[in-house]
Amino acid sequence: MKSFRFLGIILLSFTLILMLPVSCNKDIELFEQLTPLEPTNLDADAETWLSVNNDATDVTLAKITTAAETSTPKVFDPANDAASVGNINSDAYKAELASIKDLQSKLTNDQKKIIEYWSGGGVLRWNQIIRGLVARYNLPPAPKADGTYPIPDAENPFADPNFPFANPPYASRAYSYVSAAQYEALKAAWHYMYLYDRESPYKNDSGVQSLMPKTDLPSYPSHDAVLSGVTAEMLKLLFPAAVEEITLKAAEQRNAALWSGRASSSDIAKGLALGKSVAALFTNRARNDRMGNAIGTKAQWQALADTAIAHGEKPWISLETPNRPPMLPFFGLRKTGVSTGVKAWILKDADIIANRPVAPPLTSSGEMKSETDEVKYYATHLTRERLAIVHKWADGAGTYTPPGHWNDIAAEYIRDANYSEVRAARAFALLNIALHDAAIACWDTKYFYFNPRPCQLDQSIKTGTGVPNFPAFTSGHSTFSGSAATVLSFLFPGDTEYFMAQAKEASDSRLFGAIHYRADIEMGLAHGKVVGGFTVNFALTDGADDN
Amino acid sequence: MKKIYFFFLVGLIPVLTSAQTTTDGLMMSKGSFCTGFMYSHDQWKNYWEGDLKRDNGNLGKITTQSLMWFGNYGITNKINVIVMLPYMKMDASQGTLHGMQGLQDLSMGVKYNFFKKEFAKSTFKAFGVLNFSTPMSNYTPDYFPLSLGTHTTNIAYRLTANYKLKSGWFINASGAYTWRSNTKLDRIAYDDGNDFYLSDEVKMPNVFDVFVSVGYLKGPLQAELEFIQQNTLGGYDLYRQGMPFVSNKMNFSKVAALVMYYPPQVKNLALRASVGYTVNGRNMGQSTTLMGGVLYTFKFIKNQ
Repeated sequence: MKSFRFLGIILLSFTLILMLPVSCNKDIELFEQLTPLEPTNLDADAETWLSVNNDATDVTLAKITTAAETSTPKVFDPANDAASVGNINSDAYKAELASIKDLQSKLTNDQKKIIEYWSGGGVLRWNQIIRGLVARYNLPPAPKADGTYPIPDAENPFADPNFPFANPPYASRAYSYVSAAQYEALKAAWHYMYLYDRESPYKNDSGVQSLMPKTDLPSYPSHDAVLSGVTAEMLKLLFPAAVEEITLKAAEQRNAALWSGRASSSDIAKGLALGKSVAALFTNRARNDRMGNAIGTKAQWQALADTAIAHGEKPWISLETPNRPPMLPFFGLRKTGVSTGVKAWILKDADIIANRPVAPPLTSSGEMKSETDEVKYYATHLTRERLAIVHKWADGAGTYTPPGHWNDIAAEYIRDANYSEVRAARAFALLNIALHDAAIACWDTKYFYFNPRPCQLDQSIKTGTGVPNFPAFTSGHSTFSGSAATVLSFLFPGDTEYFMAQAKEASDSRLFGAIHYRADIEMGLAHGKVVGGFTVNFALTDGADDN
Repeated sequence: MKKIYFFFLVGLIPVLTSAQTTTDGLMMSKGSFCTGFMYSHDQWKNYWEGDLKRDNGNLGKITTQSLMWFGNYGITNKINVIVMLPYMKMDASQGTLHGMQGLQDLSMGVKYNFFKKEFAKSTFKAFGVLNFSTPMSNYTPDYFPLSLGTHTTNIAYRLTANYKLKSGWFINASGAYTWRSNTKLDRIAYDDGNDFYLSDEVKMPNVFDVFVSVGYLKGPLQAELEFIQQNTLGGYDLYRQGMPFVSNKMNFSKVAALVMYYPPQVKNLALRASVGYTVNGRNMGQSTTLMGGVLYTFKFIKNQ
């Protein structure tokens, strides 16, 4: 009898605990949820906002409109097509409206979800997608059997290794090209939208529903389609192996504009054409920005070491086994006869050289010894609290990199500001051109000095995250973070303290993780703020805040 | 920075090494408490990146040492409570990565011998085990292969069948389904090998394992050969040269040999040793595991 009761208790407990996992679902909490975008200001004057314009390869509104109006066939011909575009009673336009009504009467749940997804704002959505692409492609090539490393090949992107290896400099450049191209394309879209001034289908026909928030933004060309076209083309250039995912997302965005009643098929066709023509201009810039020279050759790598030795320094060596060639040594380096580096957005070569941090202590000096000892202290006192900071900011292989982390931080501020699409694009463009220029300035510094990592000088130092495969001075994280926090503080001045604290924590994380000396992080953070200041100076006079 | 997931092996160590554990056909009698410590040393150099077998110069050999406290109390002759708590230390022989050490997960199980049938020359028994485990320290799950574990709370349901001849020979088979809670990272975005998430929370696939052993148990000697197959029910492969991730698919097949000896000179003392080897795996290290332990049984109630 007693054992019977026991059996009952056991069975009951089993049943209860069995039910626990069933009732606990494993859905995870996602950050950065987007709600349907309702901009507080349409920014009707966006076409007047200045473009970055340093030389003949930069892309301005004048260049975009010239290309769009002189191409064969012409994308736009305002002198001749304004009347027909404006005629909302034409049979052709009525047929477009009828088609939307038909589509809307048959919308599936999946289609409604696509509308909801893109109603959060195309600029924010694409920024999330790009971060995912960077994380997916941020994988260093595996060594070959002979101990050498293959180089990713843009002409064969699906092979092992995949192209690209989206390391921090590559990623910073990718984020900046996409953001800058989106910004200029949307300014051009604003220009034509207000020029033709044709309203959305739901305004032109009460039978068309509006399945996204209503605005007074004109719809010819569809700015969603402009964004889909320019972004997809830039991403196919930067992440060619992701072509399927990119193309599908871009088509989804255009469909969302159509199904929601926001744009007609001719709005979308013109938008797509404009987006692609803007991408062609930026692609031309990208093909001529000297990125192709960033890897260099074995002889050039050796010359960097020889120069350091000639200065009485112990040169950097790779800490990987087998030794891996340095990451993009000529991405930033401005040195006569050696490298001219990738073209910056805002900084001129003279700015990069003039603001290059002064030399760190000599590797043989007592100062460097005490800096190394400090790193050793953190290596042997890796508390759980400091490890959490190290990992929060590690942003290493397989992640969206430090520039991606700062896009992540920025995204929720941009979302909460309820910016128009063009102003959101400006915010990301300012952030990402600053991050790109920070990458250039930092990579210039790193390869100008070619200084070893702490665990090269003291092999007993163990690190809380992987040691990046490039010289120590200055810290890339610190430089990125200084520049990003400076730009975000300009955009959202009420949160300056927060951005600066985050930048300081990101910078400190590299010392806590024992992969950087104090000089690297302090100089890097200060340098990054200077670089960010160049972008802020541009933004102060671009006309976007004139109202 | 290639790694492998290692923590499953860690989770496995108790399986491989304890008598009167969750997978075997033995029970402590009512009022008896068997307790002791087991030390294990697990090491691998080669691992499977998906199905590609390789090594990694930035890790060299990954060594896990574990000192585990073990306790098994007989509530009745048919119901035992089993508790395990390992302290672990992980190191890489090459590269720069800092080792990790600390208390891992407390595991508590209730084992119930719900069926027993005696034949002329043999006995058949069946057992159900409900096991619960949860982290005992704030170790990170985002540092494989040097993380101490997944930092998840797990609930395992196990069924075991045991057939033993009076001559001492036995065969034992056990299978378990393990539900794992989600886990949290110190970062706000990650790629799980298939998709990108803006979250610090990782959905963890559940796990299934099968354990089969044959051996001899009579007098002061227990000796057995074991086979273990464990599969993650979901999860994705490592990327090429990619960082390992806590929710990756991690499957393995392992063989092991165990000896347990009750020295007649010291009543209630048991010595045990085992060796295990991973014969196949996916996103796992090919490890060799050595274990030695000392157990002592206290009898609070004299045998009836």
